[in-house]
Amino acid sequence: MKRNERGYPLFTLGCAVLMLFGSAAAQIFLPPAPPKQPSEYGKVVLDNYASKPGSPGAVVFDHWLHRSKFTCRLCHVDIGFAMLAKATGITAESNGQGFHCGACHDGKRLVKGKPVFAACSSSPADAQCNRCHSVGKYAARKYEYNTFTAKFPKAMMYGIDWQAAEAKGMIKPIDVMEGVTFRKAQIQGREDFGITAGVPWVHPVYFSHDKHSIWNGCELCHPEIFPTAKKSDVQYTMYSNVHGRHCGACHLRVAFPLNSCQQCHPRAPMWAQQ
Amino acid sequence: MTVWRTFKWIRVATLLVVAISMGSVCAVGQGAKKSTVDQDGQQVAQRSTSAHEWQKEFDQVCSTTQEAMSFSENELAKFVQRCDALLPQIEKLDETRKKVYLGRLRMCRGLYAYVLESKRNEKK
Repeated sequence: MKRNERGYPLFTLGCAVLMLFGSAAAQIFLPPAPPKQPSEYGKVVLDNYASKPGSPGAVVFDHWLHRSKFTCRLCHVDIGFAMLAKATGITAESNGQGFHCGACHDGKRLVKGKPVFAACSSSPADAQCNRCHSVGKYAARKYEYNTFTAKFPKAMMYGIDWQAAEAKGMIKPIDVMEGVTFRKAQIQGREDFGITAGVPWVHPVYFSHDKHSIWNGCELCHPEIFPTAKKSDVQYTMYSNVHGRHCGACHLRVAFPLNSCQQCHPRAPMWAQQ
Repeated sequence: MTVWRTFKWIRVATLLVVAISMGSVCAVGQGAKKSTVDQDGQQVAQRSTSAHEWQKEFDQVCSTTQEAMSFSENELAKFVQRCDALLPQIEKLDETRKKVYLGRLRMCRGLYAYVLESKRNEKK
């Protein structure tokens, strides 16, 4: 057998093994692409009780609509919505008691001057079940993503740039809800800091406490998402982010997606500078 | 005739005695009932007062989380203790209320404990 003939299968096998490892590593460390339609990003389908007889069907919750009106903190801290879908245990009863969706959707509370429709109301006059229980129901929802966000500034990579929308005064997320939130003092500013990337060819992350605490407060992130107070103990990796921990707790599902690399690693990669 | 009249008077007197005794029994019963109602009312009032007290304490403790970084270690430790003291009271609430407030308390206590730990680490 000639030397070239012996080397060819070995070369092919080597390439195949490399590709296999590369693909496996990409699956493990690279963030998944968000849904093609930004309206689908952050959509939560609540179907805990949908299969029960007499159920009005599964609920669709759109983050894009609610985040334009309220801060993350108000809903996930004060009202008590869990950070994982279906983990809150929302029921028609709890809504009727003024908790969960019923904290705002009681037919009386005014948000930006308009009464919020009642959730799970027993009164036939208020029956608007399909507005939330809308899975598989055509034209049941009142707001449509493209129309609602038409004038909002678009993000560099994907969806809406919510921060820019707030800076331009297009949205003013409410952080205090009478009867739900107690008046809080102005948040104490914490220093911003850099996080060195795990690989040398990626720029460090510049983390802004200011930007994050405006919508989240303190207790939404600490200690449940970022549990350790000792900086040397912190091991943030893309692996943990991709698996929904640390930054991925929000940036995998609702906040701008993880594959908008430059929004966290703000400068161009090292190779682009040369 | 006289015998008949005497018998009639005896009947009337007996009826009167019976009526008076029944009336007094009813009055005593109602009085007892009223006092039970009063006691229940007091208990409800006490319960609602204590309910308001835990809510007031909860609001006081957890309304200052945004300022957590400005508190001293002692103050933070006291906040953690106050959160721990609230726990058994919140556990007595009805299911939904308990779930919501336990979650809020967990976050609030967690933050104070976190800031306390970070302050202790800074000293080391």
